[in-house]
Amino acid sequence: MQRIESLKNIKQITTEYFTAAHMAGRTPDKPVVYLNVFTPVEIFYAMDIFPVYPENHAAICGARKVTKDLAPAAEGMGYSMDLCAYARCDLGWIKTGMSPTFGLPKPDLLVVSNAQCGTLTKWFEVLSRIYNVPMFLIDVPHAGRGEKDPAAERYVRNQIEELIKLAEEISGKPLDQERLKASIQLSKQASALWTRMLELGTSKPSPMTVFDQFVSMFPIVSQRGTQPAVDFYAAVVAELEERVKQGIGGVDNERFRLFWDNLPIWPELKSLSTYLDENGANLVTSIYTWAWSMLSVGEEDPIGDWTEQYLYTFNLHMSRRVEQYTLLAEHYDLDGFVYHSNRSCKYLSQDIPEVRDAVTERTGLPGVIIEADHNDPRLYSLESMLSQLDNFLELLASRKKAN
Amino acid sequence: MSVEDPWSPFREVMESPLEWARTWKEKTGGKIIGHVLPDVPEEIIHAAGALPVAIEGAAVQASHALGHIPTYSCNHAMGTVEMGLRGDLDMLDGMVIPYVCDTTRNLFHIWDRLIPKMHNEFLRLPKRTDHSMARDYLRAEFERLYESFAGLTGKKADAAALAESVKLYNASRAKLREAYARQQTNPGVWTGERVRLLLDSSLRTPRDEHLAWMENLPWNDQSDVAAETIRIYVRGKVWDPPGIAALLDQMGFTVVDDETVTGYRAIAQDAPLNGDPIEALVQRHMATIPYTGYHVEPRKMTGDFVDRVKASNARAVVFLNPKFCEAAAFDTPDFQKALQEASIPSLILETSARGVSTSQISLRLEAFREMIADDLP
Ligand code: SF4
Ligand code: SF4
Repeated sequence: MQRIESLKNIKQITTEYFTAAHMAGRTPDKPVVYLNVFTPVEIFYAMDIFPVYPENHAAICGARKVTKDLAPAAEGMGYSMDLCAYARCDLGWIKTGMSPTFGLPKPDLLVVSNAQCGTLTKWFEVLSRIYNVPMFLIDVPHAGRGEKDPAAERYVRNQIEELIKLAEEISGKPLDQERLKASIQLSKQASALWTRMLELGTSKPSPMTVFDQFVSMFPIVSQRGTQPAVDFYAAVVAELEERVKQGIGGVDNERFRLFWDNLPIWPELKSLSTYLDENGANLVTSIYTWAWSMLSVGEEDPIGDWTEQYLYTFNLHMSRRVEQYTLLAEHYDLDGFVYHSNRSCKYLSQDIPEVRDAVTERTGLPGVIIEADHNDPRLYSLESMLSQLDNFLELLASRKKAN
Repeated sequence: MSVEDPWSPFREVMESPLEWARTWKEKTGGKIIGHVLPDVPEEIIHAAGALPVAIEGAAVQASHALGHIPTYSCNHAMGTVEMGLRGDLDMLDGMVIPYVCDTTRNLFHIWDRLIPKMHNEFLRLPKRTDHSMARDYLRAEFERLYESFAGLTGKKADAAALAESVKLYNASRAKLREAYARQQTNPGVWTGERVRLLLDSSLRTPRDEHLAWMENLPWNDQSDVAAETIRIYVRGKVWDPPGIAALLDQMGFTVVDDETVTGYRAIAQDAPLNGDPIEALVQRHMATIPYTGYHVEPRKMTGDFVDRVKASNARAVVFLNPKFCEAAAFDTPDFQKALQEASIPSLILETSARGVSTSQISLRLEAFREMIADDLP
């Protein structure tokens, strides 16, 4: 496969980000906040509060294969092996000090929203006790079957307003609306470029794989609202557009166009991408990477937009997910679905058997469920995963032949 | 019902609770609404004219469920799916799944797809217990639930009916609290096992009948004297494995307080009767010790827990932690550490763990008892 050159910049971006994070950790008037994705990071950039994502750090630990040392350390602290492997990696690095990024700076504030999983709330509670720092939960009620919920809107909006007050207390200055607007602008640009990047995957062959998207996620997660994120994605998009013109695919010989469900299996990025490349299978899209295209807000009423987003975009009823998958099947002209039943991420995995069946009913496309884990290689076997994929690709080949 | 044995009506219910509910429905033609426990306000279901019945999947062996929910899910969810697929719950007219964790969120999705004909409600409980808007939100959720079930039964969701239900449930809780307290003063008659029988059956029978049955219990029997037992405090989801209460009795433990959703926590708080009944239920919910899936100020959480244990005068703590329950697994290490610092011994029993037998649990409890006994001054 021909590599995407601009992705190499990710190393530099990550290094600079962690250097800045550690600097912030050592600068008394530069507070550090720990966040998860569905929180208004633009506010913190606008207030000179440095945002850090423990999930992101844990993913780096997974990709660099240090989970095997970190997770057992967390288990030694009494945290069960059944818990999210990101959380175990994070607690493990705190215990051992081992980390490819020299760890994370100590937080001054923890902010988490449960528009994602409930796990993060409990994980951050542990961090709040370890670091003895305040924690703010943006409690986002589930959107039920998708109906509008005015009481939930009031509740979420009110919490975001409170969060701004808390951030002002921590930073010791009021939120500068002009700086917020600037940060929102940059965030919008990064999101638009990210969306364009994902859209380019509809080309045939698709110029990038979902693995490339995973590798390029760091800035959209950690640096939404900053110039480096915009510059990075602008370069990636330009290169991908060129690849589309030249007909260069993410895999050498694209025979199958597939969807990836759930988180990456970070320790196996290389082995899986090599295997799929060799077999002409291109993972062209994933709901996981699409999530970041939906995170931008307007400058008029950002609090209202964040409220809408957290409530109605992410923590969805399964039937809404099935609708989205059905649309993506058509949009990307997919041949099938690969579902990652992610042992230590119950949130994204427990309804997969039903999602798979419902999507197949709707689209007529087959789906395979592979049993693995996003970060802990002790919880799966690569061989059995590959043999499941072998069978699935054979099925897809015979379907193609029959058609 | 045997006249001689006042405990028999409760026992009859719990011998086969789902069959009991089915027979009740055949006899009365009434509607039944199942609920998967944590903090579903039974008063609302009752006021809407249906019988609330607790559905507990913890001890159910999964086979049909295996293709529909991964094995890394807790047994509360797996067992519920199993019962649903086996048809054990087909007498239910409705179901409430409360949003207390990621698993119940996914259970709601799975349930909607597998049992679409049932009137399914997802009760979105706020996770913050410290926020005024959380009360406002909870109120709206309770109102929505009441409207929804009144629609199902054809009744009107009116405040007067709800106030009556609140009154009835308060009376029932008061009686159950009295029974619970007798475990300490008359442990020979009011054994842990019997008190569990009362609590468990109350979650599955019409409360007025249950209250009437309780009147016949031997409240005046003073024949028994307090025995020398080890006073323990229990934290966990439900009383699982089945028979754990009897096991604790046999081993000489007395449960002086517990934070399980089917235990003292469920009866500790009444809903104030002097105003709007929905508001009263909100107040009751917020006054109840937060379930492990909720969020409270983390730095206070462990200290508050230790204070509750100390206030109960318990000598030790037993955690009944369901296997694969993330919320409990995140909380427990720091809770245990805080207990250790307060010199209170504790034991974690991983419950609903497939392949763990009662005899293994009994061995662990025995070792724990010996350890506590050695610790005595
Ligand atoms: S991997 Fe899953 S459980 Fe872990 S933090 Fe992410 S969404 Fe939550
Ligand atoms: S036992 Fe734990 S994981 Fe299972 S439903 Fe209850 S809170 Fe959720």
